[in-house]
Amino acid sequence: MSASPALLRRLLGLLRAQRTWLWAGLALALLAALGAAGLMATSGGFIAAMALAGASGAAINYFTPAALIRGFAILRSGGRYAERLVTHEATLRALADLRVWLFGRLIPLAPARLAALRSAELFARLRADIDALEHVYLAVLVPTGVAAVITLLTFALTLATLPRAALPLLALSALAGVALPAWTRRRGAADAAATVSEAAQQRDLLMDALRGHADLLALGADGAQRRRIDALARQLDARRARLDHLQGSGQAAAGLAAQGAVLALLLFGLPALAAHALAPPLLVLLVLLSLALFEVLTPLPEALAQWQGALTAAGRVFALADTPPAIVEPAHPAAMTLPPAIRFEGVRLRYADAAPWALDGIDLELAPGARLAVVGPSGAGKSSLIGALLKFHPVQQGRITFGGQPLDALRGEDVRARIAVVAQRTHLFNRSLLDNLLLARPDADAAAIERAVHRARLDAFVARLPQGYDTVLGEGGARVSGGEARRIVIARALLKDAPILLLDEPTEGLDAITARELCTALAEAARGRSLLLITHRLAGLEHLVDEVAVLEAGRVARRMPVSACRATPAPGDAAR
Amino acid sequence: MTQTHEAGTWLRREGAALRRPLRRAAALSALQALALVAQAWLLAWILNAALFAHATLRTCAPALLALLLLAPLRLAAQLGARRVAHAAALGWSAAIRTRLLERTRALGPLGLRAAASGELITRLVDGVDALLPYAARYLPQTLTAALVPLLLAAAVLPADWISGLILLFTAPLIPLFMGLVGSAAERASRRRYAELSRLGAAFIDALSGLTTLRELGAAEGVAAQLADDGEGYRRATMQVLRVAFLSALVLEFFATVSIAVVAVLIGFRLLWHELAFRDGLFVLLLAPEFYAPLRALGALRHARMDALAAAAPLAALEQAPLRSPPLAGGAAPAPDAAPRVSLVDLRYAPDGRGPVLDGLDLELPAGRVTVLVGATGAGKSSLLNLLLGFAAPQHGHVRIDGAELTSLDLDAWRARIAWVPQQAHVFAGTLADNLRLARPQAERADLDAVAIDVGLAAALTRLPRGWDTVLGEHGEGLSGGELQRLALARALLRRDARVLLLDEPTAHLDADSARRIGQVLRAAACGRTVLWVAHRLDAALAADRVAVLQDGRVAECAPPADLLRAGGAFAALHAAECAS
Repeated sequence: MSASPALLRRLLGLLRAQRTWLWAGLALALLAALGAAGLMATSGGFIAAMALAGASGAAINYFTPAALIRGFAILRSGGRYAERLVTHEATLRALADLRVWLFGRLIPLAPARLAALRSAELFARLRADIDALEHVYLAVLVPTGVAAVITLLTFALTLATLPRAALPLLALSALAGVALPAWTRRRGAADAAATVSEAAQQRDLLMDALRGHADLLALGADGAQRRRIDALARQLDARRARLDHLQGSGQAAAGLAAQGAVLALLLFGLPALAAHALAPPLLVLLVLLSLALFEVLTPLPEALAQWQGALTAAGRVFALADTPPAIVEPAHPAAMTLPPAIRFEGVRLRYADAAPWALDGIDLELAPGARLAVVGPSGAGKSSLIGALLKFHPVQQGRITFGGQPLDALRGEDVRARIAVVAQRTHLFNRSLLDNLLLARPDADAAAIERAVHRARLDAFVARLPQGYDTVLGEGGARVSGGEARRIVIARALLKDAPILLLDEPTEGLDAITARELCTALAEAARGRSLLLITHRLAGLEHLVDEVAVLEAGRVARRMPVSACRATPAPGDAAR
Repeated sequence: MTQTHEAGTWLRREGAALRRPLRRAAALSALQALALVAQAWLLAWILNAALFAHATLRTCAPALLALLLLAPLRLAAQLGARRVAHAAALGWSAAIRTRLLERTRALGPLGLRAAASGELITRLVDGVDALLPYAARYLPQTLTAALVPLLLAAAVLPADWISGLILLFTAPLIPLFMGLVGSAAERASRRRYAELSRLGAAFIDALSGLTTLRELGAAEGVAAQLADDGEGYRRATMQVLRVAFLSALVLEFFATVSIAVVAVLIGFRLLWHELAFRDGLFVLLLAPEFYAPLRALGALRHARMDALAAAAPLAALEQAPLRSPPLAGGAAPAPDAAPRVSLVDLRYAPDGRGPVLDGLDLELPAGRVTVLVGATGAGKSSLLNLLLGFAAPQHGHVRIDGAELTSLDLDAWRARIAWVPQQAHVFAGTLADNLRLARPQAERADLDAVAIDVGLAAALTRLPRGWDTVLGEHGEGLSGGELQRLALARALLRRDARVLLLDEPTAHLDADSARRIGQVLRAAACGRTVLWVAHRLDAALAADRVAVLQDGRVAECAPPADLLRAGGAFAALHAAECAS
C-alpha cells in the first residue's frame, strides 16, 4: 500500500493531543532499557576488573562500579514500572480520544451513509483501529526509538574503545533493526492486510451461522455455510501460520545478527587485547552491552510483520470516518422562526444518480396545528418524505421550507429539535427507562417525566417494573414488549415537547387491542401540536387526523378531508 | 465470579488437548536453553582465555567456530518450538470453532435463542479468535517458564553454587510474591476487563441507535457522555494499574536485584580468588536468561485474561441444558409429492414455560391451503417450529403421509419445505447472495422473475447497486415490507418444495401489496400442502380450510364459509375486523 506514510502520519496526528504522555512513555522506556543495558555491561566490566585485580594483586576501586550496578538495577526495575504506567496512561487517553473522535465523525453519517454497515462491523473496525494504535505505538514506535538510542550509544562506545569493530557492529544492528523489519514488513504485508479483512469476514459468517441458524436450516444452507466458514478458516489459518513463521524467522535472523555482533567484537577484540590497544574489562563490557542491545533489536522484525495489518485496520476506519455526510450543513445557519409551517414544493429526491425518483415532485403543506395523514402503499416514498423532512437525505430538486425558511439554510439539528418522531423502527438503549426518556430532554424534571409517562399510558407499566424508572430495558429494549416499547417512544416524544409530532407507522406490528390503546395515547400526545402521520394503513387511526394526502409513486395524488376518505373506500387501504 | 471460575475450568480442560504438542514445544525450548548454556560457556571460556591466558584468535578458533555453529542450532530450536505451538494452537481453535457450530446445531434455533442473547452471540464469535494467542503463546510459555529456569540453575550450580542458590532461592519467591500481589491485581484486572466490555457495549448501543439519537437531538450529548465514561474508565483503570503493575515490579525487582547481587558477589569472590573468572562470567551471562522466561510469561498475562473472558460464553453455551432439543430425524425419505400432514394430540411447552400447545389435533390435507388464525402468543409460530423440526413436542405425533416425522431424514424433509418466517435473517453479503441461499444455482433471470412476483423490483431500482448491493445489519437498506418480500422471494425460489409454511407473510405490507402477494402465494400454493398463519382474515376467506387456535388447541376447523355460517370463534373474529 503506497499510502502507508500518509496513513501513519494521520494516525500519529490523532495521537497529537496526548504527545506529552507518549513522549514521556518513550523516555521512560529508554531509561529502563538504559538501566538494563547498563546493568549487564557494568557487571561484565566489573567482574573482569575484579578478576584482573585479584590476579595481579593491584588495588581496585570497587565502590564506584558496585554503586553503578545498584543504580542501574534501580533504574531498570523502577523505569519499567513507570514506563508501564505511563504508556498505559498514554494509550488509554489516546483511546478515549479516538472513541469520541470516531463517534463524532459518525454522527452526521446516520442514517443515510451508515445504512449498509452493521454496527458489529463498526465496532470491529473501531477495535481494530485501537489495536492498530497500540501496536504502532507500543510495539513499533517505542522499541524503535529505544533501539535507535541504544544502538548509537553502543556505536559511540565501540568507536571510542574498539574502532575497528564499530562499523561491523553498526551494520549488524542495522540488519536487525532496519533491514530485517523492512523485510518482514514487505513479506508480511499481503497476509497481514488480508488477515484483517478476512477475520472480519469470518466474524460475519460465524455471526450469520448463529443468528440465522433457523433460516439456514430451513433453506438447507446450513452445510454450505459451514463449508464456507471452514474454507475461509483454512485460508485464514494458513495466512496466520505464514505470518507467524515469518515473525519467527525474523526473530531468529535477528538472533543470528546478535551472535554475529559478539563474534565481530571477539574477532577484533582479541587482537586488540594482544596489542594492548584495549583494556581487558572493556572487551567483556562491550560483549555484554552488545547482547543487551540486541535484546532491544530482536523484537522489531516480529513487530513489523504485523505493520501492514495495523495500517489496513486504521485505513478502514479512516475510510469510514472520511465518508462525506449526505447533508452539508449551512455555514451560517438561519435562525428558526415560529410558527413552524412545513411546505414541500415540487420536491424530488433520489438515492443515486441513475436511480428512479423516490419523491417525484411532492407538493405538501402542513400548517401549524394541522393534523395530516400521508397514506400510500409501500414504495410510494413515505420513508423518503421523512428522511427529507428530518434533513437526513438531501433533495435534488424543489425545496422544503420550515417556518418559511428553506430547509437548506437551517441546521438539521434545529429542524429536528422541533419535530418529535415516533418511528416504526426506534432504538431503545440498553440503559434504564429513565435514561431512555431523558435522551429527549436531559434537563426534564420529575414532574415533566411523570406527565409524559402518564399521557403515553405508561403508568401501569412503570408501576410493574421491578426497579421502576431505574429498570434497565435490555439490549435493544429486549425486556419490553412491542406495545410497551412503542409507548416508551411516545413518552419520549412527548417529553421532547416539540411543536410537530411525526408518526411513522405507529401501530405497525401490534395486535388490534394494543393498537387501540396506543391510539388513545397518540391522540393525547397530538393535542396542541401539528401532526404528520405517515402510514400505509389508516384503519384505526382516522380520528387522529383531519386530512389525508394520498401518496402514489413519489407524488401526492389526492388530498381530502378524512371524512371523505371514510366515505369512499378508494385510496389504497384507507377505508378498510 | 463463578462464571470466571467455570471459564477457568473450561479453559484448563480444553487446554489438556494441547498437552502433547506443548510438550514437544517445551522439549525444543529446553534444547534451545541447552544450546544457550553451551554458548555462554564458550563465550566465557574465550574471554577467560583472552584475558588471562593471552590467547590469540588462532588458539581460540575452535571455540569461536563452535560458538558460530551453535547459533543456528539454538535459533532453529527456538523457531521449531514456536511453530509447533502455533500449528497446534491453530488446530485447537479451529476444533473449538467447529464444536461451537455443532453445539449450535444440537441446540437448534430455539435452544440457541434461549441459551444465548444477541450480546452473548457477539462475545462467542469474538471469543474464538481470542483463544489463539492464549494457546499459541501463553500456554507454551507456562511450560518454558517452569522448565528453562530449572535447566539453567542446574548449569549454574556446578560452576558457582552460591549464585545458583541465589537464583534458586529467588525464583520461587517471584511467583509467590506475584501471587500475593497478583491475586488482588488479577481481581482488579478482571473488573477492568468487565468494565471495558461494558464501555464497548455502550458504544455499540449508541452506534446502533445513532439515527434515533439524531432524531432526538441527543447525539452530541451521548458523545459527551461517552467521553466522560471513557475518562472515568481511564481514571479507575489507572488506579487499578498502579497496584496491578506492582506484581510486574516485584518480578522486575527480584530479577534485577538478583542479577546485581550475583554480579557483585562474583566480583568480590574473583578478587579473593574464590572463583574462576570463566565460571563467574558464565554465571553472569546466564543470570538474565534465568529470569527471562518468567518475565515473558508476565507480559503474556493479557492473553490469558482475553481467553478467560472468551471462554465464559463458550463454556456457558456448552453447558446450556438441552431442555427442548430440536427433533432428531431418522433415515426414511421425505415425500416427493405434496404430503398429508397430521398433527395428533400435540403437547408442546417451550423450555421452562407452560404448554403453548396442549392436545392439539389438526389435519393438513395434501395439496390444500389451511389458514391458521388465533391471538398473538396462541402458539401459531410454535406449530410451524414443530413442523420444521426445530423443536420436538413433549407429547403427540407429527405424521407426514402417515410416517412419523421423527423417522424422516430431516434435511430431506426440510428440503421439501418453503418457509416464510416472520423475521427473515439478512445474511452478510449482497441482495443476490441473500436470495441464492434458497437456491444456489438460481440464474440472474430467475432472481429477476421472483423479484417481480414479490414486488422487490422497486427496491432493486432504488438500491444503488441493484442485486449487488451489500445489505447491512437488520436488513438496513431494505424497509420492513421489503424484508418481508425478501423472505417471500426465498420461499418462491424453492421450487422443489412441496410444503409451504407461511408465518404472517403479508404482515408488513399495505393492502394492495398484500392482495397482490396473496395472489402470488395462492398460485404458489397450487399442488402444495400449505399452512398459512394469518393475521388478517382476507387470506383465511380464500383458504380451503381455516383452523382457529385457542388455548393451545384447535377450537374449530372447516372451510371458511362453513365457519362463518356456524357463528363460532372465526365468525366473531371476522365480525370484529369488519367493525374496525
